[in-house]
Amino acid sequence: MIKFVLNRFLLSIPTLLAILTIVFLIARVIPGDPASVILGDSASQEALENLRHRLGLDQSLIQQYIQFITGVFRGNLGDSLVSGTSVMREVLNVLPYTIDLTIAGVLIGIVFGVPLGILTALYRNSFLDFIARILSLIGLSFPAFYSAILLIIVFSLQLGWFPVISSGNLLDPVQRLHHLILPACNLGLIMVAYVTRATRSSMLDVLREDYMRTAKAKGIPGMVILFRHALRNALIPIITVIGLYIGVLVGNSVLTEIVFNRPGLGKLIIGALNQRDYTMLQGLMVVYSIIIVITNLITDLTYGFSDPRVKYS
Amino acid sequence: MNQEHLLEVRNLTTAFRIQGNLFPAVRGIDLHLDRNETLALVGESGCGKSITALSIMRLIPQPPGEIVSGEVFMKGIDLLTLPEERMRKIRGNKMAMIFQEPMTSLNPVLTVGFQIMEALIYHQDVTNVKAKELAIEIMNQVKIPSASRRFKDYPHQFSGGQRQRVMIAMALACRPEIILADEPTTALDVTIQAQILYLLAELKREYSMAMIFITHNLGIVASIADRVAVMYGGEIVEVAPVGDLFEKPRHPYTEMLLRAVPRVDLNIEKLSYIPGQVPSIDRMPPGCHYAPRCDLRMELCDRQDADLVPLPGEPAHRVRCWIRGDSREIQDKP
Ligand SMILES: Nc1ncnc2c1ncn2[C@@H]1O[C@H](COP(=O)(O)OP(=O)(O)OP(=O)(O)O)[C@@H](O)[C@H]1O
Ligand SMILES: [Mg+2]
Repeated sequence: MIKFVLNRFLLSIPTLLAILTIVFLIARVIPGDPASVILGDSASQEALENLRHRLGLDQSLIQQYIQFITGVFRGNLGDSLVSGTSVMREVLNVLPYTIDLTIAGVLIGIVFGVPLGILTALYRNSFLDFIARILSLIGLSFPAFYSAILLIIVFSLQLGWFPVISSGNLLDPVQRLHHLILPACNLGLIMVAYVTRATRSSMLDVLREDYMRTAKAKGIPGMVILFRHALRNALIPIITVIGLYIGVLVGNSVLTEIVFNRPGLGKLIIGALNQRDYTMLQGLMVVYSIIIVITNLITDLTYGFSDPRVKYS
Repeated sequence: MNQEHLLEVRNLTTAFRIQGNLFPAVRGIDLHLDRNETLALVGESGCGKSITALSIMRLIPQPPGEIVSGEVFMKGIDLLTLPEERMRKIRGNKMAMIFQEPMTSLNPVLTVGFQIMEALIYHQDVTNVKAKELAIEIMNQVKIPSASRRFKDYPHQFSGGQRQRVMIAMALACRPEIILADEPTTALDVTIQAQILYLLAELKREYSMAMIFITHNLGIVASIADRVAVMYGGEIVEVAPVGDLFEKPRHPYTEMLLRAVPRVDLNIEKLSYIPGQVPSIDRMPPGCHYAPRCDLRMELCDRQDADLVPLPGEPAHRVRCWIRGDSREIQDKP
């Protein structure tokens, strides 16, 4: 088992390296000199030279690459061009907000999506199934920024239950949670839709399996059959789907953070884009890559633990 | 009931809904099983053997299936009218089933040992430790090598033959009185088939169980069964003690089946096969189901189905055929 975990962990390192290389190349391959893009057409030759030196663009590509990679592994993503502070520090300042939001979104997706998926599979083609399918279709096709605005109008402005600007003090757990609920629901809605669909179809497959009949023939109580025999098997593909959609969720969290005016990676990335903060953008791409690689690793490990056929082969 | 059987099925009809209409998959099944007895249920693929067994266990998938009529008495209690919770306590406990497909009938994410233990946990008042002990004991009995070590293994770590042993262990864990074995050896290769059959026969004797053994292999029937019921198109067409059936089959379909069994003492030219195939349940002929394939068929056969009646002087040998069995009724018909 330790071997399995270690194995998957080591396997994700080359993946990460490959992504980092791509991030590095994208920044260099894009036509045009970053320095003149940042400073504009009217910049003096001297200023351009200066900036190139600060960015390390006057070095050879190989040197730049080595510096970039070693920097990443040492946790150094360079300094922001705009504020001059370390990119890493800026990221760490807002990362808890984004992590809160993403985890809450996934949890909402699982807590509502899995039971809903089970029910719609058990009572397929019933009225409940019909309603749930329409709702999940709406959930899937609804743009995240639009649902965010609707949520703010109803729950913040009209009912006044939640703050309009969801920042929240990280050190005050109650406030942190209170500020989290609305944006998390916005993110979670889509996840609920995905998870419901995945659970439903996975459950329907499992319910048709021969071993379900075997379990029933043994005279095991219905609830035990449902949870131990059916759900345990159905979870395996559901985990994969959840893992895949966490990537989508991270993308949606950018929109959610902006509409709710909530600190986070999403707001950082928009700010960097607006201000042409080249190092900040590159640093954020690195951070997002690491998040995705870690998510995949966790998905892989969970998958391995829920399916004995993976672990031992 | 003049004499109480361990299991008695009367007039059982189970139908499936296909595009809104109910079509019987098995019809008017009458059979009984006594203590220590093995009844073989034989017939071609699709004739309703599995559906009969699943109906007895009340395991018909519903929808699309439905038990339309009939009674299934076990020691005088009609199982079909029992509340589901009481039926659950019978399944796997008093009456257990072994399925055809050992590869897909075990749950891939639960250990083999746990799957054997499970029936014990829910049917018998035992602690987990005791259940585990009993499970290992029965794994030894079905001759799974190094049982206590393999207890924690998963189904994919077992071969087909071993999985069928696990299935047998699971079914026998609570020492049921009746075992329904649905082609337990069909999916296995020939040498392993013989081992499993031998094991099943041995355990059946040891536990003094009664067994309904489903197969389409008449060769197996001769060695394992006391009585044989031949099914065709969802009906029982002939029932007889095993010797009688092999020596003097009455139904034209049984005769055909027997002629289709490969024998070492006959060469291949003499081996006959049965032309045509079992009609699907939504295309059953209105009269005798076998009539379209029968050499002896008369006009009446196409019009009306015969009843399963005993032969004169042989109450245990019953046949559903206008020509060979139900002759007394031919006279009444215009
Ligand atoms: N779920 C179902 N829906 C519709 N028809 C069904 C269903 N299950 C079984 N049938 C039909 O019922 C008939 C009897 O099926 P059954 O499985 O009992 O055959 P069998 O004698 O066990 O055959 P085999 O030797 O292939 O296992 C078949 O014609 C089959 O097509
Ligand atoms: Mg069958």
